[in-house]
Parts: sequence; structure tokens; C-alpha cells
Amino acid sequence: MRGRPNLYIDYQKESSIFSNNTQKSWFGLLVILSVAFCFLASDYWILLLTTSFLIAIAGWGLNIVSGLAGQINLAHGVFIGVGTYASAVIGGISTSSVVGFDLDMIFWLPLAGVAAAIVGLLIAPITVKLKGLNLALVTLALVFIGSHLFSNFKSVTGGAGLGRKVATLKLFGVNLEKGIEIGTFYLQKNQILYLFCLLTCVLAGLGFKNLVRSRAGRAYSAIRDGDIAAEALGINLFRYKASAFALSSFYGGISGALFFTVSGGVEPGTFSLLYSITFVAIVVIGGAGTVLGPLFGALFYTLFPALIQLLLHTFEIGEQSLPLNLGQLERLLFGLFIILFLIFEPRGLWGIWFRLRNYFKAWPFSY
Amino acid sequence: MIIFLQATVEGLSLAAIYSLVAIGFVLIYKAMEVLSFAQPALAVVGAGIISSLAIDRGIPFWLALFLGVILTGILGLLIERTFLRPMVGEPVFSVAVLTIGIDILLRTVLDSWIGINPKYMGDPFPSYGNFGAVKLGGVNIKYLELAALVTAILLIILLTIFFRKSKYGIAMRATSYDQEAAMAQGINVGRIFGLVWMIAGILAAFAGFFITGGFNTLSQFSFISALRALPAVVIGGLDSIPGAVVGSIIIGLTQGYVAYYQLSFESLIGFSFGNGFSVVAPYLIMFVILIFKPDGLFGTEEVERV
Repeated sequence: MRGRPNLYIDYQKESSIFSNNTQKSWFGLLVILSVAFCFLASDYWILLLTTSFLIAIAGWGLNIVSGLAGQINLAHGVFIGVGTYASAVIGGISTSSVVGFDLDMIFWLPLAGVAAAIVGLLIAPITVKLKGLNLALVTLALVFIGSHLFSNFKSVTGGAGLGRKVATLKLFGVNLEKGIEIGTFYLQKNQILYLFCLLTCVLAGLGFKNLVRSRAGRAYSAIRDGDIAAEALGINLFRYKASAFALSSFYGGISGALFFTVSGGVEPGTFSLLYSITFVAIVVIGGAGTVLGPLFGALFYTLFPALIQLLLHTFEIGEQSLPLNLGQLERLLFGLFIILFLIFEPRGLWGIWFRLRNYFKAWPFSY
Repeated sequence: MIIFLQATVEGLSLAAIYSLVAIGFVLIYKAMEVLSFAQPALAVVGAGIISSLAIDRGIPFWLALFLGVILTGILGLLIERTFLRPMVGEPVFSVAVLTIGIDILLRTVLDSWIGINPKYMGDPFPSYGNFGAVKLGGVNIKYLELAALVTAILLIILLTIFFRKSKYGIAMRATSYDQEAAMAQGINVGRIFGLVWMIAGILAAFAGFFITGGFNTLSQFSFISALRALPAVVIGGLDSIPGAVVGSIIIGLTQGYVAYYQLSFESLIGFSFGNGFSVVAPYLIMFVILIFKPDGLFGTEEVERV
């Protein structure tokens, strides 16, 4: 079958994670390059990519419930918050104002995901009953209820405006804060975090890809395309809708726990409406329902402020001469991009990539 | 008893404000089946325009109010023309997210204009001092609250007459009933969409003014008050104007009563709901009502087919 990469002779081959060797080798190359990146680039770029990996994980989470299963969720930020606080309680250091058990990363990271997933399951009786706009509104209500709880559970979150420190970075008893030495080889904290987040991101991405082709993934797509028809086919709506929410929250929880460990502290006000909407926008801009979409969206979201700064710097435009400050400019363009993508390219960045790839497949011929 | 009356009055005035935004939501939903998350943004933008005209430009208050309301209506129309028109026939989710994008856009521009210092709305009767208040048997009623109530009632009556009697009102009802049939009757559905957004913008601007008037002031967080019209709409049912009003009354009264009775209730049961619970209570009510009646109290039940 050489030379005919799109010809599949068995179903297993077609639905495999990497359908051909080209994909496999590109993926390998990308991973190797990403690993090499942390030894070559400056701290600034390492940190930027670390955050985009984590945002991509959360994006995949939202993509499970919104992109795959078609259930609108405007409260992804709340699940991320639950994961964050779970990790902060389990892995953080107890102070006079906040509780913490100071456990190892091997405990707090999975438990953060599990805690978020449990919350996702707890609200399932409501979210499963509703769909469409009503679901969007209920999740919107969740955002407000969530931020109310976050700012009032002072022993867990530190309270509004104050916040707390999050989980400590120690894996198998080794404190990663000061970096580690392996022989003569020295890894800084940033590099360790980068590599760890890269690993998590790759695992999460492969997990998502695997989910798409699994029984559950197919059930999700069926529910998205028509839930009554799906039910008629014997798909248990309650189980799959609830599990979509739980899985999505699990991804979100993991992402949140790591994200705020990278940034060092967390304040309840972070998990506002805009925060949740950011993830919806990332999925939409990246391409809802696709595997690569959230990754594209996350890279776009983190790199694009850096790009603006770079542009301002190269053209020597002072921040004072702009009518908006930098954060507002980012927000403005972000809002604009949501609108433009929805109108002109509903498949998002992935759609652009898809067209580009197809264009060059037959290049220089038009087809 | 006085506290109860006080809470009722404040709740009702909130209800009046919410009902203005809520009717805007419902009108847009009925006409285009779009849930516009941009409505709160329109409300605060309206307030911003009024404030910039009345305070910064020194235009007489009534003229500023009039201009602000009209300009917000036109802004609504423009939004429909530029952003919503290409999205006709797209999935509801996409359009809802698009209106979130519009919301971010509008509020970012407004936030940069507001800056750190809250903005005042101007005062039609400076001699009363920030709209003043009247005492009726121990109950302190702000003129602003009275004005909100009266304006909302007047606007609702006007809208009812508009929908019953005027050519465009009837055309709107026809459009919301069946778009294609309306088109076949020669109704310009596109123009109706624009008109709906304009009316929604006008209503939002009034609401924005009452939210931010007097000592409330316009800050970067004012939109959250306008957003509370959403639970009102959901409680009433997305496609029912009377429902929107009833929902607003429920939400407004809840907020009023919780604000006044939370402390004594908490000390009674020995459990604290936390600061600012009155702001979250509407969402909790919406939660409960949606569990039992997913289409709201007055909404038409959706019949689904495969």
C-alpha cells in the first residue's frame, strides 16, 4: 500500500491514532523539537509555551463536552477552579488562613482532576436534562454560583482579593522548586515544568484523539448530531452526557492545577465569566470538535499577546500613545477574532490549516 | 413591616430595570431565535453615552438621555446589520458565542473609556441632590427607583400598543410566528430583525441608565447587574414577554428580600451564605426552576422530532 496513504484496507488501520507513517514521524519530530526548545529558548518563551500547553489541555476538555458531545458549557472556568483549589488544598502548605495538606504531586495532580470530575457529575442531573440555549444559561448561572462559592470559602481559597498559594512542586519527595541535577546535567524549574507540561499535554492530546475513535467518542458525536436519534440507537443519554461533563472537567481540573502552580498563586476573582468564556473562544477560534483545534487555539491565545508586544516594540509604538492599554487591546482583538472566525471560518484555525494542507497536497496543480 | 415594604419597593424597582433588558432578550429571541449575550453590554454602553454627553460634554440632561437612548438603539441596529446578518441560519451556539464576542468588544471599548473612576449619569433635578428620595410612611423611596418603575411600565404599555396596532408591530409578530410565511406576505424580514435590535437597544439603554443612575454610577462591573436579566428571561421562558416581566419581578423581589433579610435569617439558622448572596440568589432560583420546568414558567414547550 505504499504511495497510497489514504487507502485503508481494514477498519482498525483507519481508526488508529496515527493513520500513516508520515503522521507518526511528523508527530515524533514535533515532540523532539518541543523538547529541544526548552534547552534553546529564553525563559520568557518557555513560560509562554508552558501556559499554552496547559490551556490546550483545558481546551481539549471543553472540546469534549462542547465540540464532541455538542453540549454548550460556559462554566468550564468553574471546573478549572475546582481542580485548582483541590490541588491547592491537597498539595499546598497550610497557613493560618488556609488549609493545606502539603502532599506530593503524585497525589494532588490526579486528585485535582478527579475532584473537578466529581463536580461535573454532581451537576449532571441538571445539565443532562437541558440542552441548547437553556444549558448555556444554566452553565452561565454556574459561573456566578461558582465564583460566589470561591470567594466565600475563605479557608480553601483565601477569600476574594487575597487568594492563596497553590500546591508545592514536589514529585516523589524531590522538591522541584530549585531545579534538579542529574549527574552534571542541570534542569531549571522552568525547564522541568515545561517538560512536565509538554508530557501532560501530549498525553492529554493523545487521550482526546483516542476518545474520538472510541465507543464513548462515537456516542458523543451521535448525541451532538441528534440526541433523540442517538437515544433511539440505544445510547444512554444520561450516562454519556454526564460522562462527557465529567471527562471535560477532569481535563480542566488537571490543567488548572498545573496552570496555577506555574503562576504561583490563585485569587478567586480569576474564575470570572470572562475566564470561562476565554476557553469557549479558544475552542471556537481553534476549531470546535477537532483534535488539533484546541491546541491551535491555545497557541493563538498565548502567543498573540506576545506578537502584539513584539509588533509594538519593533515599530517603536509606545503604550501611552495607544487609546487602549495593552490588556484591553488584547481583549478587543480577541473579541474581534471570535466574531470574524465565526462569520468567515467556522471551523477555526483548524479549518485554515485544513485548507492550507489540502492546497499543498496537490501543489502546484489546483486539484 | 417597614423593612418588608422597603425591600419590596427596592425589589420592584430592580424588577422594572430587569424587565427592560429582559424584554429586549425576548424580542430578539422571538424574532431570530438568537440569545443575545450582548444585551448587558448595550445597556452599559447606553449609560456610557448618556454620561459622556451629560457630564463630559455638558449637554442638558434630558437631551443627553434622549440622544443616548437613540444612539444605543442605532448601535443595536448596526450590530445586527454587520455581525448578525451573515450568521442567519447558523447553529444557535455559534450565534450565541458571536454575541459574546460582541459583548467583549463593546465592553472593552467602554472599560477603556471608564477607566478607574466611576462615571456619573447627570441629574435632571440638581436641587434634590442625586435624584433625591421621598419618605412614604417610613419607607424611603428614591426618585430614581420611582422613575425606573414608571418608565418601565410606560415602555411596556407603549410596546404593547406598538405590537397590537402598528404596521411594524404586527409585522414583527408575524415574523416571530413564521418567518417564511411572513416573507411571503411581503414583510421585509431583514428590516424586522434590525428593528428588533433597535428596540432592544433602546430598552437596554433605559435599563443601563437606571442601573447606573444616581449614586450607583457606571463602573466596569455595572454590566453584571444588567446580566441578571438573563435568569429573569429563563424563569419566564425565553419566548414570552409576559414571562419576562414576571421573571423580572421574581428576580427583583428575591434580590430585594435577600439583601434585607439575609443577615437575620443567617443568625436564625447559624449558617452564612456569604457576602453578596443577594446577587447570586437569582441564579439559584433559575437553577431550581429549570430543573422542574426546562422551558420556563410561560415559555412554549418545545416539541422535538428526530
